Amino acid sequence: MSTIAPAPVTEKAAPGGPSLGARLLKIALTQRIALLVLLLVAVVLTMTTLSQNNYLSAPYSPSYMASTLINLVPLVLLGLAQLLVITSGRGGIDLSVGAIVSLTGMVFGFAYGEWGWSLFPALLLAVAFGALCGALNGVLVAYVGFPALITTLATYYAFRSLALVINDQQPISTQPIQDLYSTAATVQLPFLPESFPRVPLGIFTFLIPTVIVVWLVLARTTWGRRLYAVGTNDVAAEWTGIDVRRTRFTAYVAAGAISGLVAVVTVAQFASARPDAGVSGTGMALPAITIAVLGGVAITGGIGRVAGVVLAALLIVWLNAGILLAVPGNTGSQLQLLALGAVLVFAALLNGITNRRYGGTQ
Amino acid sequence: MSAPTATPPAGPVGEVTHEAKARGRVLPSPVTGQEVVLIVVISALWLALSLATPAFFTSGSIIPLLVSMSPIALIGVGMTIVIITGGIDVSVGSVVMVSSVVTAQALVDNGLSLPLAVLLSVVVGGVLGLVNGVLIAYGRVQAIIITFGTLNLFKFLGLQFFGSSTVEGIPATLAFFGRGEAGRTLGVPHSFLIMLVIAAAAWWYLRHTAGGRHFYAIGGDAVAARLAGVQVRRRVLLAYVLTGLLSGLAACFVIAQGTSSLAASVGAGTELAVIAAVVIGGTSITGGRGSVLGTVLGALLVQTVSTGVTQLGWQSQLSDLFVGIFIVIAVGADIVRQRTRRTS
Repeated sequence: MSTIAPAPVTEKAAPGGPSLGARLLKIALTQRIALLVLLLVAVVLTMTTLSQNNYLSAPYSPSYMASTLINLVPLVLLGLAQLLVITSGRGGIDLSVGAIVSLTGMVFGFAYGEWGWSLFPALLLAVAFGALCGALNGVLVAYVGFPALITTLATYYAFRSLALVINDQQPISTQPIQDLYSTAATVQLPFLPESFPRVPLGIFTFLIPTVIVVWLVLARTTWGRRLYAVGTNDVAAEWTGIDVRRTRFTAYVAAGAISGLVAVVTVAQFASARPDAGVSGTGMALPAITIAVLGGVAITGGIGRVAGVVLAALLIVWLNAGILLAVPGNTGSQLQLLALGAVLVFAALLNGITNRRYGGTQ
Repeated sequence: MSAPTATPPAGPVGEVTHEAKARGRVLPSPVTGQEVVLIVVISALWLALSLATPAFFTSGSIIPLLVSMSPIALIGVGMTIVIITGGIDVSVGSVVMVSSVVTAQALVDNGLSLPLAVLLSVVVGGVLGLVNGVLIAYGRVQAIIITFGTLNLFKFLGLQFFGSSTVEGIPATLAFFGRGEAGRTLGVPHSFLIMLVIAAAAWWYLRHTAGGRHFYAIGGDAVAARLAGVQVRRRVLLAYVLTGLLSGLAACFVIAQGTSSLAASVGAGTELAVIAAVVIGGTSITGGRGSVLGTVLGALLVQTVSTGVTQLGWQSQLSDLFVGIFIVIAVGADIVRQRTRRTS
């Protein structure tokens, strides 16, 4: 990229130098996790206060907050997919995740709904097919040297088109697919009091396992360390003996596999394999990139944490849930667009300020 | 053409050829490899389509094709400049939406005249472009992130103007840009002509003025450009404002090409179509290289594909698959040419 941010080398001030306020400001600005927790607490407190004073159309209660977590599942998963490809560096980004979700959803719909496969093989097929789509991106970006933005724009077009054409634009909603809706239900957690809110099952079947796996892979495996190295400086990584192309390629494959998982989640949520599931409206790629950037993933690569993505997604989900109660109807869903855009611009400007004042986020 | 060899080297004629020679050394040839390839591909497609469906090569099919490609190519002119500076603007679809809804509503409520409607639309587009430009040039943040954000913000703005319904009963004031008889002179659509004039002006500006070359310098190396005395921020700001202004004008085309009502989905997906046209035209997404001519050809190719798919009686969604394939081929060809240039 041509925008080269001048990196001011700010040395740590002498002990006892800056005041407490300045230090807290610095923590909030440089520790993205701290800032997100702060914002999350602010959102929940504001909404609860509004709720207690009866400004909202329905109570912003723990059970409401828990039920909205169903929206968290695709958001976090795709945010993690973006985390992987953006961290791989050299302008890494994946615009095609929504189209992969659509196409894989249709493939899963065929396997589970039409061909009578049982759930587990069909799920594996979905993940494998998503990975295959991601592999196409990966080959073009990592091995052929295409810019990621353009590659994934092209595959976005191609996958979206195939998803629509493959079944004459008709959704697949046979009986097995409709029965899948039960997996999107909420459950009562065991060993907890009856008053504890019911949580969507998808949190436990899809979200938590994926988050743990991605976190383990990024933080505890050589591949994870390699990915950060490649994203930070791929020439240096090459000279230390890392197979840069292979590492970057696998990042796109992993993003595709996660998108395949999201396809299954989406099919279950809609009780139907819809050919436009991932691309209708703003699509799924845009919110996913927003979540990743808000979560502190540097678009230049090499920086990004799983916890940031999860917290950012939680912030957006609970903020949107609150907006829907505060401003019911059409205006509410429009205000969600405003909130998403404003938060993204705010986060980007904040990153800029942080870069200039403190030399980067952590 | 044998005359120049007979004229003596001295005098004004000799000086002109000398200058032209000097220019030829600095500038790439007026038509680059990518554009030659595109012209060949488009000609081949047109030939194949006219053989496959006799209806293709008639004015009833070509004129709608030229009309439909005009807004994409027009925004593409601005987008080319933005991408040459190393940036990108994914918010143009939302800009088209806001400009068109504001203009359509003003046409319905106040019965604006044609010039005023165009002025309003262009100014609205320009203001939104200014927002992008200020944030990117002076906020020092990545263009893609900011414009993803403003895409949402502008869309919110547009939906507010729509007020959860469509704009109905738009008068035919803008028919000058439309598909109908009022939109043509001697059979050539006005929107296409206007697009060509603006594209030609931009082509000349980018190629033959210092200001135009500055965009390339910024895309090549922003720091070096700044040290060489280029007002980097002002140039970048200008690129986004220009894109906004052109999106505003394109919004007029979009209103004129539609029916008398305007739905909230207007402009959705425009950004991807525009970026596809620019990239197929050979403009490098990393900045520093590209031409408006390529973008116009790219838009023509994309529109030819979607017209062709419809006329062959295939599912219209299939055209996106071909657009995707053409993007891959175009970028692949560009990469191959870069490699051969480097090794030779």
